[in-house]
Formats: sequence, structure tokens, C-alpha cells
Amino acid sequence: MPDVWVFAAIATKFTLYLGILTASGTVFAQLMFQLDRLRNLAAAFAVVGLLAAALSFSLRGANLTGDASGMTDPEMLGLLWDTAAGTALMYRAIGLGLLIAGLFMGRLGQWVSVFGGILAVWSFDHIGHVAGRETALLDIALTFHLMAVALWIGILTPLKRLASTVPTFDVAISVGHRFGIVAMVTVPALIVAGAYMSYALVGTIPLLFTTDYGQALLIKVLLVGALLGLAAVNKLRFIPRLRAGDMTAAGHLAKSISVEWAVFIAILATTAVLTTNLTLPT
Amino acid sequence: MRQILLAGMLGLWATTAMAHSPLSASVPANEEIVAELPEQLLLAFKAKMRLTRLTMTHADHDSVDMDLSGAKGFVTQYAVPLQSMGSGIYVIDWRGLGDDGHAANGTFSFTVQ
Repeated sequence: MPDVWVFAAIATKFTLYLGILTASGTVFAQLMFQLDRLRNLAAAFAVVGLLAAALSFSLRGANLTGDASGMTDPEMLGLLWDTAAGTALMYRAIGLGLLIAGLFMGRLGQWVSVFGGILAVWSFDHIGHVAGRETALLDIALTFHLMAVALWIGILTPLKRLASTVPTFDVAISVGHRFGIVAMVTVPALIVAGAYMSYALVGTIPLLFTTDYGQALLIKVLLVGALLGLAAVNKLRFIPRLRAGDMTAAGHLAKSISVEWAVFIAILATTAVLTTNLTLPT
Repeated sequence: MRQILLAGMLGLWATTAMAHSPLSASVPANEEIVAELPEQLLLAFKAKMRLTRLTMTHADHDSVDMDLSGAKGFVTQYAVPLQSMGSGIYVIDWRGLGDDGHAANGTFSFTVQ
């Protein structure tokens, strides 16, 4: 297919990652840190995820015919529905549907939303490079990796909001401190899971440098390194300074979180290229 | 008998298959020169595949969609009727869906003397 289709597939995959991980991460963070006023944020990204999931499925139809007719061809879409692509779409639709429904169900709804978020994240185990290996340990690593990433993304916007107004500085300090403790476990585990998946998929270190897939993976590693640096500055510098009563630290924290968001966007875009347009080294 | 013949012919050509393509063999094979066009194009895939589009292009003619109406479900071997367009280079483009949900496609060509 022409390059425009490849670009459309990558852009849709990126939007799918952004929608599912941000919606799921927001409800994970909401439950874990008992945060308020996140319904609209989670619902908006869940809708983005739903639309991207449908478009991504439809674009697969175009790939089957080589032109736009496949996007709406009932025979092509019916064929896809009977494969892992259909299973993944089903988990995404049910998961994000539950996530949205839970947002309107009060206290118990938080658990419904979290379950929906896990289901949507788990959908990535059904299709893609990891699913192709049919290894239970890889599936577990991918699910954990994505849930940890989602929680990290999910905390960014509420923490930035809290650090942006004086009356909520205390809550920002508390949430930032508690997330710092949780991240001491989830972030190293996220990196171990990512390294294990990279090793399982790429195989050898020379292939990291000599293949397009390996090089894209290295870019991702560099971006994650930058993210860790920012997180370390937040945890070791801005949160303690805010705690000590330095109000200017709140502004620095909010700016640092904006940069973290930008780096996450770059990581998700790199991942979309990795999973859509680059083949695994053999 | 036809199936055995098909499997035998594809097995014979499998050694010339492209290393990373889902298509393991074809008759006529990629870049093969044949004296006359066979009645059927034979395709063998490494894993079960549902062909969704198969087109043939000949130098002097427009690209034509080949008849896939006889193919149902996910299978590894296909026999598709070939329509002669005379001597010259024939280019075959195929698109399909693996039963793992992944789309695949490829191109190969052969020459009729």
C-alpha cells in the first residue's frame, strides 16, 4: 500500500496507545491515590482509545484489499473479526466500555473502571510481536510493563494539576511522595520486563545496532533514560523542596511533568513505529 | 490425486522459496521461465492463510483480479485458474490474512516464453 496507509496505521496505533494507557492509568491512579475530578479526563481518553481501536481494525481491512474499500468491506472485516485482531478489538471495546461505565457508578465504579482498564491493556497480549511468540512469561511481562507505564502516565496530569494551585500543594506533596514509593517497585520492574521482552524479541546485542527494529528499540531506551532522569529530579529535588515550603518548587515540578508528558509522547510514537512498520530481526 | 500432485509439485519448488516471505513456494516459481502458461497458479504458504486479493499483471494488459471464489477459509495451499495473456513477464501480487490476525502481502513474477 502507499506510504499514506503506513502513516495512517502508525498514527492510529499511537493514538490507540495514548487512549488506552492514559484512560487506564488515570483510573489506576484514581483508585490507588484516591484522587478526585478525573472522570472527564479518563472518559475522554477512553473514547479516543475506542475510536482508535475501531479505526485500527478498519485499516487492517484496507491492508487486506490494498485500497480503502477494505475498510468497510463486510467480508474483510468479518474475516478479521474471527482472528486475534477481532479478539483484541473485543477486549478493547468491552474494557474501555466498562472503564467509562464505572466512572458514572460511584465508589464501586472505581473497581469496575480499573477492571475495564486492565482488560483494555490485556488486549495487547492478543495481537502483535509478543502474542506471536505464545510464551506465557512474555505475556505476563507485557501486561505488567503496560500497566506500570499506564500508572506512570496516569499520575502525570493529576499531579500537575495539584502542583499548579496553592491550596492543593499539600495534596501534591503527598501524592508525589506516595507515587515515588510505588515507583521504586514498579519502575525497576517495568525496566526488567522491557529488557526481558527486548531480549526475547531481538535475540542478540549486535542485532540491536544492525537492524531497524533494534535501532528503534535503542531510541526507546534512550527516551526512557531521559524519563528516569526527570522522575529522579522530581522525587529527589522538587518534591522535598515543596515539602520544605519552597513554593517555587511547585512551578518547577509542573514544568518537569510537562516535559515528562512530551517524552512519553515520543516513546509511544517510537513504539507505534516499532510495532507497525518494523519487522522483528531474524 | 490432484491434491497429491499439487503437494508434490510445491514440495519440489519449496527449495527456491524466499527466506522471510510467508509464501514458501509457487508454481510457476519466482523468476522461473516456462515454455507455456500452466492452467493453474499454485501457491503454498508457511502458515494457514486466507488470500483476500490476487492480481496478475502482464506487460501488454491491465492488472486483473484472479478468481478466488473457490478458496474458502484459512489454508496453506491454493490452486487458482490462470488466464493466458501470451508470452512475456507475468507479475503476481497477493494479499492475505494469517489466522493469527496479521495481514501479509507479496509479489513475484515469472516469464512465459
